[in-house]
Amino acid sequence: MRERNFMRLLRFLRTGFAVVLLPTLLLPLGGCWDRLEIEKRAVVLGIAVDSATAKEAGDDNKVTHLGRELPKVETHKLRITAQIAIPGRIPLGPGEGGSGGGKPKPVWVVSAYGHTIDDAMMVLQQKLSDRIFLGHLRVIVVAEDVARAGMSNINDYFRRNPQVRRLAWMIVAKDEAASLMAANPELKRVPALYILAMMDHAVEMGKYPDEFVGKFWSKRSSKGRDPHLPYVQMEAGETFSLKGMALFDGDRMVDYTDPLQIGVFMAMTNIQSGGYSVYTPRENLMYRATYRSAKTRLKIENGHPHFRIDIQVEGNIEEKPNESYDLETAAQLAALEKRLGAAAQKGALALIALTQEANADIFGFGELVRAKKPAFWNREIRTKDNWHRMYKKSTFEVNYVIKIRRVGMKAE
Amino acid sequence: MNRPATVTTLQAAALVAGSIIGVGVLPLPRVATLAADTGGPLVTGVAVLAAWLALWLITKLGTLFPQQSIFQYSEILLGRWLAAIGTLLLICFFAFLASLAAREFGEVVVTAVLRKTPLEMTVLAMLLLAAIAARNDVRTFSYIHMFYLPFILAPGILIIALSLKNAVSLNLLPLWGNDATALSVTHGILTIASLFQVAFVVTIVIPHMKQPQKALKASSWGVVIAGGLYVAIVLATIAVFGSEETRLLIWPTLELAKTTSLPANILERLDAAFLAIWVTAVFTTLLSTYYLTIHAISQLFRLKDHRLLTYFVLPFIFWMAMLPQSVLQLYQIVELVGRIGLCITFGYPIILLLVWLLRRRGVSSS
Repeated sequence: MRERNFMRLLRFLRTGFAVVLLPTLLLPLGGCWDRLEIEKRAVVLGIAVDSATAKEAGDDNKVTHLGRELPKVETHKLRITAQIAIPGRIPLGPGEGGSGGGKPKPVWVVSAYGHTIDDAMMVLQQKLSDRIFLGHLRVIVVAEDVARAGMSNINDYFRRNPQVRRLAWMIVAKDEAASLMAANPELKRVPALYILAMMDHAVEMGKYPDEFVGKFWSKRSSKGRDPHLPYVQMEAGETFSLKGMALFDGDRMVDYTDPLQIGVFMAMTNIQSGGYSVYTPRENLMYRATYRSAKTRLKIENGHPHFRIDIQVEGNIEEKPNESYDLETAAQLAALEKRLGAAAQKGALALIALTQEANADIFGFGELVRAKKPAFWNREIRTKDNWHRMYKKSTFEVNYVIKIRRVGMKAE
Repeated sequence: MNRPATVTTLQAAALVAGSIIGVGVLPLPRVATLAADTGGPLVTGVAVLAAWLALWLITKLGTLFPQQSIFQYSEILLGRWLAAIGTLLLICFFAFLASLAAREFGEVVVTAVLRKTPLEMTVLAMLLLAAIAARNDVRTFSYIHMFYLPFILAPGILIIALSLKNAVSLNLLPLWGNDATALSVTHGILTIASLFQVAFVVTIVIPHMKQPQKALKASSWGVVIAGGLYVAIVLATIAVFGSEETRLLIWPTLELAKTTSLPANILERLDAAFLAIWVTAVFTTLLSTYYLTIHAISQLFRLKDHRLLTYFVLPFIFWMAMLPQSVLQLYQIVELVGRIGLCITFGYPIILLLVWLLRRRGVSSS
């Protein structure tokens, strides 16, 4: 009898246990701490960073600090402009996109001021009802004067933030960066995605190396290489054009190149899909590179590195308006190849000289020394500053071979 | 101890590999580059070799007593009280290792994914999972490892393969590194070798193996699989980021997953997928550590059944997991504990082996 009672008690306990335990187990399924509906997020697609004068920035917002604790030194103030996607208005397919006539804008552009990026972000958050979400951040645009003053602020924030993708693009804008956020391109309804498409397609067409922000950071850290970023300029409030490469000496932007020099750079660094066309004034024709390859050899001569770069570019004739200039035999093509090659060689040497002058070894010649001649590197260089000094002393020999393979659909 | 011996050699190998691959994968490339910048892969390789040697000795010892676990034959060799001290040291170490693994897991989750979820919840969830799974017998335990190993290896290999698109071979030269010093390299080798300590679990599996004499083969394969993955991860990370950038990343392997995208824009970032799978890797490691701890305790107190202990130990392990005050302190403790652990998990079996040799000589001479 007692035993049966005991069994009954046990069964009761077991049922009770199940009744209590099961809901407890179900509880965490519904309400995670990190649950955040997609429409309750302020999804930032692009961020522009500009410098701000004290007058523009106005008084300190005192969101992240109390004014009196600020150091007496005048800190550099920043203005960030964020492009936030408005839920429900982002066109999902080509059908929805259309010309966008009369439709409400799919993004909202807001800006805020601060001493650092995070300071400005917090000021921005103070203005927004929804939590800022950077997981879809695709483009970071930095104004030229900010880049020239130094990128460490920007690099640190975006590196530290776990939401930011390393595959986002970082670009330098001549003049105001915020204008890119407010751009109104005809081809895409979301300006940030337009910038992204522009850069992605530039990579596909061989007009720019695939330099996502993660690569910029890696190059920034490496001792024998300096980073570069796309350098763009706003055109008439609608679109922007790729103006060249912004060259960096460590954290600071020091100079920029011409657009065609991107092609030279890509040829020298063995990025194979070619995409630049060259106009030759003397013959009045256009030559388009389709394939590039390069090999760099390194020797140590008289205590400094000597680099020999062999470049071969293949391409086609695209246009020849000058009818009196004959292009019928292989010998004529070969003569043209030679002249183009000589011009290209000059161009390559000029680009090297530019980077030597600017202390910006964007090619990574220093990495070659570090990797291939470690004894020399350890004895003479070791640091990035020393490499910059050595880079100025380095000598270069460029062999630029241009091949013309095809002339298009028109003979002669 | 008259349960049927059922663990196959393959299962034992999977068990060793699955136990090794764990939380340590995430900071591993940073540890390797801190030791010898571009020489990181080489340092990792040497560490794998060292770990293999150590595990070989431990397994060799185990095969000398194919019917018993280390806690049992240590009593034969050292006597009950001396052996109890050794077992107690092992218990403390593995309990602490389990708590640190759970904490490290929690820190990654709180920093990178679930930023508002309390750390305690993720740590507790993981420990509870390990505690529940640790209630099984050795057979199920090895099945669990066997089942999960492909899920741990496949995504790791996938991420390594896909990241090669961004790899720069110059980043891996010179092979021995630019700034490596003897001190930093030894430091690195010890730290990386300490990631292999959970393989010690093989000592309690040997008595349950169908062919205990094949334990050597099993643990060698386990180390080859886990070590191969480790070297490959270090290689890929340094090739993609360069050694200088790798030093700046707190969890370089996670950043590698973040930088890697599947072709044709199927998945633009793999970090979420990677973390989901990495949970499994942490789980199997934690399970082994937990299992080892409670097995040691139940043998120390001569309990018939280890199940009772699983929940009893949980609060202590959880409490220890909450001890480190910050991520940086956590990693300092992890390094220190790993160092001490090497003395325990490697030194103790060596002492046992020496005693065995001396005794055998004594027997043969008398």
